[in-house]
Amino acid sequence: MEEKKRRMHALVARAVFVVALLGIWEYVAKSGMMGEKSELIFPSLEVIADAFIKNFVQGFAGMSLWVYIGNSMRLLLEGLLLGIVLAFLLSGLSMVSKTFYDICNLVISVFDLLPGVALLPVVIIIFGVKPGVIVFLVVHAVLWPMARNVLDGFLAVPQIYIEAGMNMGLKGVSLLWGVYIPAATSYIVSGLKVGWARAWRGLISAEMIFGVASCPGIGLYINQMRTNMNNAEMYATLVVIIIIGLVVQYGVLSPIEKCTVKKWGMSR
Amino acid sequence: MLYKNKFKKRKGDSIMKKHLRLLAVCLGIAVLAAGCGNSGQAQEASKGQEGTSQDAAGQDGAAQADSAGGEAVTLNIAYQYGLAYAPLSIVKEQELIEKAYEEATGDQVKVTWNQMSSGADINTGISAGSIDAGFMGVGPAVTGVTKGVGYKIFTNLSGQEHGMMSNDENIKSFDDLIGSSNQIALVNIGSFQHILLAMALENAGHDPHALDSNIVAMAHPDGMAALESGNVSCHLTSSPYIFKEREEGNLHEIQDVADAWGVDGSFIVGVASEKMHDDNPELYQVLCGAIKEAVDFMNESPEEAAKITCEFDGNSEADELAYIQKSKYSIETSGVFELASFMARTEFIENAPKAYEDLVFDNVTGD
Amino acid sequence: MTKEECILEVRELSKVFDADTENEKGVLKDVNLRVARNEFLCVLGPSGCGKTTLLRCIAGFEGYEGSVLVNGQERKDPGTDRIMVFQDFNQLFPWKTVEKNIQYPLKLQGIRDKAVLKERTEEVLRKVKLSGQEKYYPYQLSGGMKQRVAIAKALALKPEIILMDEPFAALDAMTRNELQDELMRISVEEKCTVIFITHNIQEAIVLGTRILVLAQGGKIVVDEKNSIRRPVTPASEGYGATWERLHSALYQ
Repeated sequence: MEEKKRRMHALVARAVFVVALLGIWEYVAKSGMMGEKSELIFPSLEVIADAFIKNFVQGFAGMSLWVYIGNSMRLLLEGLLLGIVLAFLLSGLSMVSKTFYDICNLVISVFDLLPGVALLPVVIIIFGVKPGVIVFLVVHAVLWPMARNVLDGFLAVPQIYIEAGMNMGLKGVSLLWGVYIPAATSYIVSGLKVGWARAWRGLISAEMIFGVASCPGIGLYINQMRTNMNNAEMYATLVVIIIIGLVVQYGVLSPIEKCTVKKWGMSR
Repeated sequence: MLYKNKFKKRKGDSIMKKHLRLLAVCLGIAVLAAGCGNSGQAQEASKGQEGTSQDAAGQDGAAQADSAGGEAVTLNIAYQYGLAYAPLSIVKEQELIEKAYEEATGDQVKVTWNQMSSGADINTGISAGSIDAGFMGVGPAVTGVTKGVGYKIFTNLSGQEHGMMSNDENIKSFDDLIGSSNQIALVNIGSFQHILLAMALENAGHDPHALDSNIVAMAHPDGMAALESGNVSCHLTSSPYIFKEREEGNLHEIQDVADAWGVDGSFIVGVASEKMHDDNPELYQVLCGAIKEAVDFMNESPEEAAKITCEFDGNSEADELAYIQKSKYSIETSGVFELASFMARTEFIENAPKAYEDLVFDNVTGD
Repeated sequence: MTKEECILEVRELSKVFDADTENEKGVLKDVNLRVARNEFLCVLGPSGCGKTTLLRCIAGFEGYEGSVLVNGQERKDPGTDRIMVFQDFNQLFPWKTVEKNIQYPLKLQGIRDKAVLKERTEEVLRKVKLSGQEKYYPYQLSGGMKQRVAIAKALALKPEIILMDEPFAALDAMTRNELQDELMRISVEEKCTVIFITHNIQEAIVLGTRILVLAQGGKIVVDEKNSIRRPVTPASEGYGATWERLHSALYQ
């Protein structure tokens, strides 16, 4: 009962907050306080809502926003998967070899600091000009925070689980798979959360700078709307980005958390 | 634990009450924001009465008003980087606007120069009222005018050479590109260079958007690097990059693009907000005059000009002079209406301008 | 004891921590020990005498000098022939249910038949009186219940020897007595060999068929058969005398 009440409260609080925020936006838009061209640079909610629909119905260059979303999501998924696999590989090898651990630690610290977009010119020269560059940048965004988290998680595995595992005859890869990974799940999930957010942002900023017209994504769409001074459409696209972010957070990551660490009593 | 306790304390309140409290907080924020907004409006209104850019209400202005014994005026100019903007370096370095304004009115003007990275940024700045005049490609300028950003073209600035280079021997014309997976690097989708590609395609009898899906958007230097390393097969760019690429033996030019829009056609134009044009005609005249003076200076004594501008453009003096002589600096527009009509016809813009006069202020000459 | 009877032999086992540093600390020195099949060996000793280290060496968790033989075969690494029950309640994998915790090592042993797994799980849970608790996750169990599951898990594997490192030390007195009784009953029924580390004299007398007292350095000062008739209570004949003897050996 208490729990239900608390949830209800959280829900209502959020709803009130969002409504108030939208109210402020509408007030600012309608009051014309952003100057004479207010309706152009700070469109009201109705205009943005219209633009939202227009994005999907009409789109740009004869393609609905769905197409752009589809392209972005495909590249994102490829990058995410590759990044996660590599993160496990790096952290796994680090647990096996002390030398590799030392190197890996340095590499993670160094590369985590580099913004992907700053690497773009180098990446283009090495990998060429193809959507693969975007995948590379997504991998770059997700790999380092993920590897850092997984590695921290492995190091935090209680000795007793490791000994219990060894006692059952686990060693090497089977120990990693049977004990380290499940025991580090809470770290892995938080790594996923950070990695996903970084990848999503990295993808859009990369697409805004480096647009491959044969595989246009959401970032390119935003840039296009900006270039054409279609600000309402641009804001509407930002709303789409937020919605996708929330869907992944509550539709994918939260359930993963619920089915693992929450169910196992490893996290509240 | 803390959170729990706090929660228990509140248990007595009804849920309704809690929500009311929250609503009150949110409304408070809204009211605060509205308060700020009103003061902004007031400032806007005072500006309106006393003339654009006259910042009598601002502290800066007040201080300057004391020293000059009159009203202080500010002018915010946005420009971009590169050879095509060279006359602006002269205007800026020689303080042409400041001098001319004092001569004409006896008052001081405070000019602020903002370097921005794209025409889209300048468009936003002007529509938000934080920029009075800006310089950008004719493409974004036409987009801004027809979108109703609230400005018009007040001068032409320069024309430059453009061209498309390829590193693939098998690519000799558009026919070799259309339907292929060869990639064309250019600065941005919807940019002047993109419009140019469409124009050249139409001139050659193709669909103007036939190569849209072959485009890769990359900054000029990145595009040049990608072309040289063989990562793209074509690069459509403007001076000075096109000069550098033409000098390389292993690259060849697809001539249609250079033919579509030569150095005589308008490339960079200046736009000024209608507000400034209407409210402070003296300043507007001074601005136009200063640009003309700088352009004339570039044409009459390019050696002198190169000395001043080479530093800003990062070229050697000799290179800068060569580039300047290959460029065309003029205040007279050329082909702007033709370009705008083409953009409307090929759906780069939504609203077609009816006449040349829709795009430019009265004092501008050309077509 | 004969060669057939001897299930575990420890030969000249020495263990030094932080070897070749200034913190070098010898814990065990030339320990020799033979354990017979079906023996319930209780090891008493003051803190720091190396009794836990000895057990961990036998389990294969520590490196050492000397040798450990199970059924005459040398063993260096951990293995399912010597299953350890730790003092820490958190020795079960929290990501597996009670049932899966018991079945996982069996599966690793190559037992894939679901019916066999289910039967074995039910059997051991019945022995530790936890029937019907299969589907719970460890965090839902009390400390005593977790230790029962740990014992069940060890029994299910049918190891040569069960190694127990003060498994009841962190339990309250009532639960401890209850678990002692059950462990004794199970050890008699199952005919399993147990090495049981404790610092509790009463526990050693109640559970052990043979009692060892270690002094510093792992030196065996008492090694005797527990001849008190089972089930042992403080009222049993000879309990007082044994208690006194072990106590004085422990605190001499």
